[in-house]
Amino acid sequence: MKMVTFREVSKYYSGRAAVRDFSLEVEEGERLVILGPSGCGKSTLLRLVAGFIPPDSGSIAIQGDIVAADGQIMKSPEKRGVGMVFQDLALWPHLTVKGNLAFGLKARGIPKKEREQRIGEIVRLVQLEEYIRAKPAELSGGQQQRVALARALVLQPRVLLMDEPLSSLDLELSVRLRGEVLRLQRRLGFTLLYVTHDREEAFDIGTRVVMMKGDGRIERIGSVEQVRAYFQARATASHLIRQNLNDRSA
Amino acid sequence: MAKRLVLTSVAILLAVAGLLPILAMLVKSVMVDDHFSLAFYQELLASGREVTLMRHSMALSTLTTLFATVIGLPLGILLAKTDLPLRQLFILLFTIPLLVPPYITAVSWFNLLGRDGLLARYLDPSLAKTTSAWLFGLPGCTLVLSSTFLPIVMLLTIASLKTVNPRLEEAGQLVAGWFSVLRGITIPLILPGVLLAAMLVFLLTFGEFGVPAFLGYDVFPVESFTQFSAFYNFSAATAAAIPLAVVAFLVLAAERFFMREKTDQLRPAPDGEQRSFIGLGPLRRWVLALVSLLCLIIVVVPVLALLLQSATTSAYVEALNRAGHSLLRSVVYALVGATLLTSVGFLSGYLIQTRTLPFWRSVDALTIFLFALPSTVTGIGLISLWNRPWTNFIYTTPAIIILGYLAKYTALTSRITVSTLAQIPSSMEEAAQVVGAGWVRRMGVIVAPLARHGLVAGWLVGYIFCLRDMGITMMVYPPGHETLPVRIFTLMANGSPQLIAALCVIMIVATLLPLSMLWMVFRTAMRGGAR
Repeated sequence: MKMVTFREVSKYYSGRAAVRDFSLEVEEGERLVILGPSGCGKSTLLRLVAGFIPPDSGSIAIQGDIVAADGQIMKSPEKRGVGMVFQDLALWPHLTVKGNLAFGLKARGIPKKEREQRIGEIVRLVQLEEYIRAKPAELSGGQQQRVALARALVLQPRVLLMDEPLSSLDLELSVRLRGEVLRLQRRLGFTLLYVTHDREEAFDIGTRVVMMKGDGRIERIGSVEQVRAYFQARATASHLIRQNLNDRSA
Repeated sequence: MAKRLVLTSVAILLAVAGLLPILAMLVKSVMVDDHFSLAFYQELLASGREVTLMRHSMALSTLTTLFATVIGLPLGILLAKTDLPLRQLFILLFTIPLLVPPYITAVSWFNLLGRDGLLARYLDPSLAKTTSAWLFGLPGCTLVLSSTFLPIVMLLTIASLKTVNPRLEEAGQLVAGWFSVLRGITIPLILPGVLLAAMLVFLLTFGEFGVPAFLGYDVFPVESFTQFSAFYNFSAATAAAIPLAVVAFLVLAAERFFMREKTDQLRPAPDGEQRSFIGLGPLRRWVLALVSLLCLIIVVVPVLALLLQSATTSAYVEALNRAGHSLLRSVVYALVGATLLTSVGFLSGYLIQTRTLPFWRSVDALTIFLFALPSTVTGIGLISLWNRPWTNFIYTTPAIIILGYLAKYTALTSRITVSTLAQIPSSMEEAAQVVGAGWVRRMGVIVAPLARHGLVAGWLVGYIFCLRDMGITMMVYPPGHETLPVRIFTLMANGSPQLIAALCVIMIVATLLPLSMLWMVFRTAMRGGAR
């Protein structure tokens, strides 16, 4: 089943294309990674799916429902069943971990007993039980990442959007958290749209990778193996060209 | 060396302009016939009159703060975060009451609701009796001061909203509607800014003299002024001034203790351009009608009442004949005051932002305290200090008015500089330092040009506040040097309503005309720059 469908989506900022003629279908339960350099429109794609901005042209559908098309937002963010982990995490600094997790549940009118139960389950899952009363500023970088993940997952979204969530962490912690994301995705079964500029991170997380060009277009789509092979081929070609040039200059 | 010398001189100037007068007043209040005595304080505590004044002052300040906040906060959110039409125009219109002296707003309401006002003339004289009784007292004072200080809450709400990281709201939008996001995330995040605004409204109302004096409501500043100028009873005037100073000090101390770090965090958020707006949907036209109605009641109607009351050429001719010189003086003093305030505020703001010298915190606290201190207290302090034979060159000249402006309003230009400099990377000045530029050159060639928008904004704010000032000027102006606000106030006793209304309109024009001209120049320059 198609979970997210982009049809010829374009988005411009001050006349410059952030995303151009982007078409893609994301299957239910898939882990799709969008890989590309800074400013290539990766984050814009997630913001379009979340519903913060409308596409200037083209349409976006979630489970077959058109949620935005041609400059119009048909379904506001809170009605899309989408969770998101932001690049800067965007944890609410004035609320405790529990407050951060409870906000969405309260807004949905979920009764207190069920709320407590769901918060309990998710904090166990991300191993944050002992920090439930702490404020975000009192937590380490890795713990904050887990809170952001738990906040996005506590409402059991159909799609989880992750916008370079591990980019500010050191390599060791980043690798460990990639494992946690995979574990949670396999257990909960949500569809994952993951944005990164880090190739290794993309290969670790994804089942499929979309490579973006600097002008907001798709450069290549393929499985992790296909994209890895493409990069290897490109590296070999570039190595040969360099060697050739060196030989000539010698 | 030059840096230390200049910044220390600025700190000394502020101490001379503001701190020394307060100390002089305190010393004078404990001296009876050249001997130390606390008799006057004992009298103060034993007097029942003080209790009444305190009750009135607290009631007026609390009610005004409540109304200004309850209306100003949602208004600021509507104008900053929604797709309401004409938002910029509304911001300008709602700011007008803050720009003109509050008692002018009181005069316009008097022209509308008073016994012989427009309501009595064109509608129902018996109803006018009721509205007049209502106007002269706590409700009228609250109405006038709430509409005057409402823009403070509105503008600080708008400024605070710009400091909220849009991602925090978006994270909320994914799981909740805008109403829940505002209630649970946005408002708690901007609360320090809103509380700061509420505190300013409270303190400004607590020290307000013109409106309660005009509308006949006994509060501390009125008592202090009356005792001082009508009876020349210095002890009684100080007795009424001391509680004002104490309350200002306590409120500021509480703000420092509970809120300081939080209000210091009010800086523009990163990637503010990706801010999402709240779509009002079908409510849009109703909200527009409601905001227009509010604007009509608290901005347009009072100004219209003044225009209608003064609608004869003879009123304006008489006004210019009787107060033309005062108008000229007001403008000149405001020009001088604004220029000095900009310079002193820029340097003290630089000191506070860069924390260059160890006493930066004292300078910051002093400027804020002096701003919060009611004008009558500052005025009495200035007279206590400078009314001596050998300082007549200050006491009997406009220099004492300018010193009063410096004491009272440096906090405004200083704070504007602090927030401007916070947005300029310190590496800009450091890069100039590395290549060998001295401090004066760095300030002149790098820092001041980069902070030019803040300097222009500071000058405009300084000009407006000097021009509209009545509290300090009324207390200290030497004979023959009264400004237009003072002249209007003194003419109220025997001038015709048409004359007073005409003078008020002239005052409004004198405030708004240079503002609009400068705004147009600024806009043209910005457009030129953009091209």
